[in-house]
Amino acid sequence: MNKKGFTFKGGYFFLAVLLLYAGLFVLDAGTACMAAQKAAKIFLRILPILVGVVFLTAVINYFLRPAQIAGHLGRKSGIKGWLWALVGGLLSHGPMYAWYPLLNDLRTQGTRDGLLAAFFASRAVKLPLLPVMIDYFGWIFTLVLSVYILIGAVIQGRLLEMFMPATTASRDYRG
Amino acid sequence: MSEIRDKPAQPPSLLSALRKSSLSFLSLLPLLAGVIGLVGIFQVFADPEAMTSFFRGNPVLDTLIGTLAGAVAAGNAVVSYIIGGELLAQGVSLYAVCAFILSWVSLGVVHIPAEIGVFDPRFTLIRNILAFVFVIFVSAATVFTVGMFS
Repeated sequence: MNKKGFTFKGGYFFLAVLLLYAGLFVLDAGTACMAAQKAAKIFLRILPILVGVVFLTAVINYFLRPAQIAGHLGRKSGIKGWLWALVGGLLSHGPMYAWYPLLNDLRTQGTRDGLLAAFFASRAVKLPLLPVMIDYFGWIFTLVLSVYILIGAVIQGRLLEMFMPATTASRDYRG
Repeated sequence: MSEIRDKPAQPPSLLSALRKSSLSFLSLLPLLAGVIGLVGIFQVFADPEAMTSFFRGNPVLDTLIGTLAGAVAAGNAVVSYIIGGELLAQGVSLYAVCAFILSWVSLGVVHIPAEIGVFDPRFTLIRNILAFVFVIFVSAATVFTVGMFS
């Protein structure tokens, strides 16, 4: 994306949310303020992740050319691509939407849609929270669930690609 | 001229890569701000404690209810474990509890508008339908497998 082609995405959506807050404020100012406070806390909590995502995107763009990204995560990436997607999903922290900018960038550079779906699905395994899950549900449950989530992530990715046409970017960098 | 033409494209400097990624992030800022705002509203209205009253004692129906309740909820996954523990103590089936905690981290109704904006409607629709179906499949397979060990 160059500066000339810069456009904001989701302006109307943001406006709709603002209107929702305005409506809520008219109906119940206290609840609207409570929701705004919660949103502000969420923003502050995920700010380091957002900054990290911007840096990670820059580092990826610095070291890898689009063709190289397509080679690692594109149509012909093979098992390596799936492993990258699963490991990336396992290691990524914070809410899903914090990773949208990086994933959007990778997608425009040729990353296949199935890998994005696998990344999203494998995020259901929360590595830092595994001890808590074991404490509540036992280690057998936690282990079985985690393994099935990862298997399911790959199947979801494969199925998604059956229903999705290849993106323009992935077609461009195929080969 | 031909030398200039044949010269391979220069890799970007780290600063220009950082500028590009910052602009890319900035372009998505209204979407992210909108989602964060919506999550704030959901966290006020979607009371996790109230969700426990939805379950009916039918394992099949409760699994579906658990999946839907988890998809609507927003917040840290630890909260879903705590609620899941409470549900198990109240006699709700492990199928439903598993679907609830898995849906909590896999599905997000509140994220859908932003996902459509960033990716596209078709990708978002298919991904979320698959995620919904797999929450149920994975929950059923997990509880079945765990049952064989106990």
